[in-house]
Amino acid sequence: MLNVLMLGVGQCGNRILDAMNREAFGGGASKLSRYYLRPKFPSRVETLAVNTAINDLKELRFTTAKDRLHVPNLHGVGANRNVGKQAFMENRDMIMGEIEKRGDFDIAFVITSTSGGTGSSFSPLLINELKRQYKDIAVITVAVLPFREEGSIYLQNAAFSMRELMELDAEGIILADNQYMKRFSGDIASAYDKINTMIAQRLLFLIESLDSEMLSVTDLGDFKTVMNGGLRIGTMGFYQADSKNLSIRDAIQNSLKPANLLYPANVADDAARAMIIIQGSQEHLDVDEITKEVERLSASAGHVFKGIVVKKGRPKVLSVFTLASAPELEAIYAQAARAMQEEKEKRTRARKQLDEAFAHIEDLEEIY
Amino acid sequence: MSKIQISKNEIRPARIMIYNCDVLGWRPNYYRMTFVCLILVLLLIGANGAAKSDEEDDDEITFRDFSLYIGDRIELEDYQIELIEIQSIRDGLVVMRVSKVGGSLDEQRALLLDRPNNFDRGADNGGITITIAEIFDEQSARVRLEYKEKLGTPRKRSSDRPQTAPEKPDLWVDKSFDKSEMNVGDESKVTITIKNNGTGPAVGIEVQDIPPLPQFTYIAGYPPKIKETLDPGQSDSAVYMVNAAKEGTVSIPSVLIRYADRKGNSLSNRSEPFSIVILPRSRADLNINAEDNITLALEEEGRLNITILNSGSASATKIEVTGDVRPGEGLEAVGLDKSFFEIAPGDAAAFSASIHGQKPGDYAIRLKANYNDGEGLAIREATARVTVLEREYKYHYLLAIIPIAIISFWIYRRHREYKY
Ligand SMILES: Nc1nc2c(ncn2[C@@H]2O[C@H](COP(=O)(O)OP(=O)(O)OP(=O)(O)O)[C@@H](O)[C@H]2O)c(=O)[nH]1
Ligand SMILES: [Mg+2]
Repeated sequence: MLNVLMLGVGQCGNRILDAMNREAFGGGASKLSRYYLRPKFPSRVETLAVNTAINDLKELRFTTAKDRLHVPNLHGVGANRNVGKQAFMENRDMIMGEIEKRGDFDIAFVITSTSGGTGSSFSPLLINELKRQYKDIAVITVAVLPFREEGSIYLQNAAFSMRELMELDAEGIILADNQYMKRFSGDIASAYDKINTMIAQRLLFLIESLDSEMLSVTDLGDFKTVMNGGLRIGTMGFYQADSKNLSIRDAIQNSLKPANLLYPANVADDAARAMIIIQGSQEHLDVDEITKEVERLSASAGHVFKGIVVKKGRPKVLSVFTLASAPELEAIYAQAARAMQEEKEKRTRARKQLDEAFAHIEDLEEIY
Repeated sequence: MSKIQISKNEIRPARIMIYNCDVLGWRPNYYRMTFVCLILVLLLIGANGAAKSDEEDDDEITFRDFSLYIGDRIELEDYQIELIEIQSIRDGLVVMRVSKVGGSLDEQRALLLDRPNNFDRGADNGGITITIAEIFDEQSARVRLEYKEKLGTPRKRSSDRPQTAPEKPDLWVDKSFDKSEMNVGDESKVTITIKNNGTGPAVGIEVQDIPPLPQFTYIAGYPPKIKETLDPGQSDSAVYMVNAAKEGTVSIPSVLIRYADRKGNSLSNRSEPFSIVILPRSRADLNINAEDNITLALEEEGRLNITILNSGSASATKIEVTGDVRPGEGLEAVGLDKSFFEIAPGDAAAFSASIHGQKPGDYAIRLKANYNDGEGLAIREATARVTVLEREYKYHYLLAIIPIAIISFWIYRRHREYKY
């Protein structure tokens, strides 16, 4: 059995973690479920929500109180990653102590937005600490990219935090892009819920699959290998066949389609390594079809691991792949740089204008 | 047998009269009043002359009154005067016998009241004159004897024969109903009894019985028939049937009987009037008494005791008792329907039904008795209320509290677990 640590850092990370806890109560659980059910994770999963804002923690519904860790910081972080880093360092022992209490882990997922203050600044430092403390732990970052229109600070934060995350000696990053998934819903609150649920489902499916006895073996090692490929940045796709079309081939193809991915990528062009995990009733799982489909994918994506889990139900397919190139991410950097440049110019221009204004009183004294 | 003659001599005015009070019974009648007045007038006119004539003449005519019973005699010199019979008080006829020692006179004659009768050519001519002055009753009369003083002093000799009872009928009549209280519709026997308690036979008996209508109707035997003649000691009765028709107190008029004695004297008598109470028509009146306010536990078996009492005055017949339960479900009752042939007045019939509570609630068992009350169909109803209790959860609630407490504790713990 795998020992899994799930860390949600910052508001975004907390809420995705809460969505995971909700999913663990059973699909679409209501608030009351927590009174009569227990979250059921496929493996031993410890969850911990970490935040500097106590209100964000209070907002959670499916995470137990002991799994919410408040990092006291007098005035909050205010999207300032430097303040955030300082706050983490000041509270590092407390945070790490809280994690240690939860025992040993084979794998940790650190879920965070890349653009906020707390999550994006805590996560790289936290991952470093985890790597230091736990010898053989695999640490995967689940990083959420902001809506592009959220402003220059969020873009700047995303750019810098992504660089930090990529430079870490960790197992890789799974990207989720708010901007990309925005299309699912009109208003922000329900878009968040929808995105969070999608991320939570995929992560739980992944854990379950890694811990199952598979027909065709994939395990944590295989997963690590996949994540280690390319830029060590990857994403996930997921598809559940509907009753009208139970074809496993179509299900595999659908799991790789852009509509079912968390981050916009072209598998055929960009994938470095991939892993396809298939679950469903025996009768739907045509091994030839699966093999054929996996081979087709291998032609473009390099190595493809496949895992098959026999479990009653319609076919479900999870695809995990790492990218050899990330054009969208590059675009963000360009956008961030432009925004930062603009900001800088605006600032100097404003400063210059103000200096000119000051010039008027340069030779004058205050008269009383 | 002596021949009875009625003399038609004129009334001769008396010149001297001595009123002899001791022979007068104090009984007012017309004759006597007239007589007293006459004496008073004569005393005033001729008191002087009377005294004179006593001294002067021994041949003066004098008179004397005697009260005689039948068989009594007056003796004057050779004359013997005997009261034989009061033949008729109404007609004023008295039979006297006058005889003379030696047998020269022996005559029995019926004398009319207040008519002087001469014997031996009368007192004026040395004989005697007899006048019936007054008839007291069937047995006695006052007799006046006129005679010449030289004949001596008349003496009364009471009868040595035993006094024979006069032949007088005396009818007693009685009317009676065989019950003094009855109900409308009841038949009653009316008996009229007549008895001759007298000494002589009663003849020509007539009965006048006025029927007490309209409270009664006559069924049979009316008018009552009684023998026309009843000898002393004999009695006769007549019976007729009546039917009480109207309630109330009825005064029964007396029966009048008219009759005569052998001599033709009319007599009458009447019975005592009385009254009779006629009560309303007798009917049966049933009362259903069922135990009321029975309380049953759920699923408990109980009994409903029902008594039907006839408090009326007639028998109830063809009694059919039926019962139904409202509301129709939840209380089972077996044996509510029952029938009886008859319940006599004052009697009661009892039975019981079994009841079984199946659902908590209030129920009404309505009992209905149809019967014939003697007049026609009558109906009586009664209701018995039955309450079936809720199941008692005396200690059971503890069983509910424990899981509630456990759940509450559980929920609270969960709440604490997630409360941040
Ligand atoms: N997918 C998703 N994105 C979210 C959610 N909440 C916030 N975000 C994104 O996260 C970014 C903001 O970062 P947060 O996580 O809110 O910030 P933080 O880490 O709490 O840091 P501070 O609030 O600055 O202390 C924005 O780009 C939001 O679009 C969420 O529930 N789901
Ligand atoms: Mg926040």
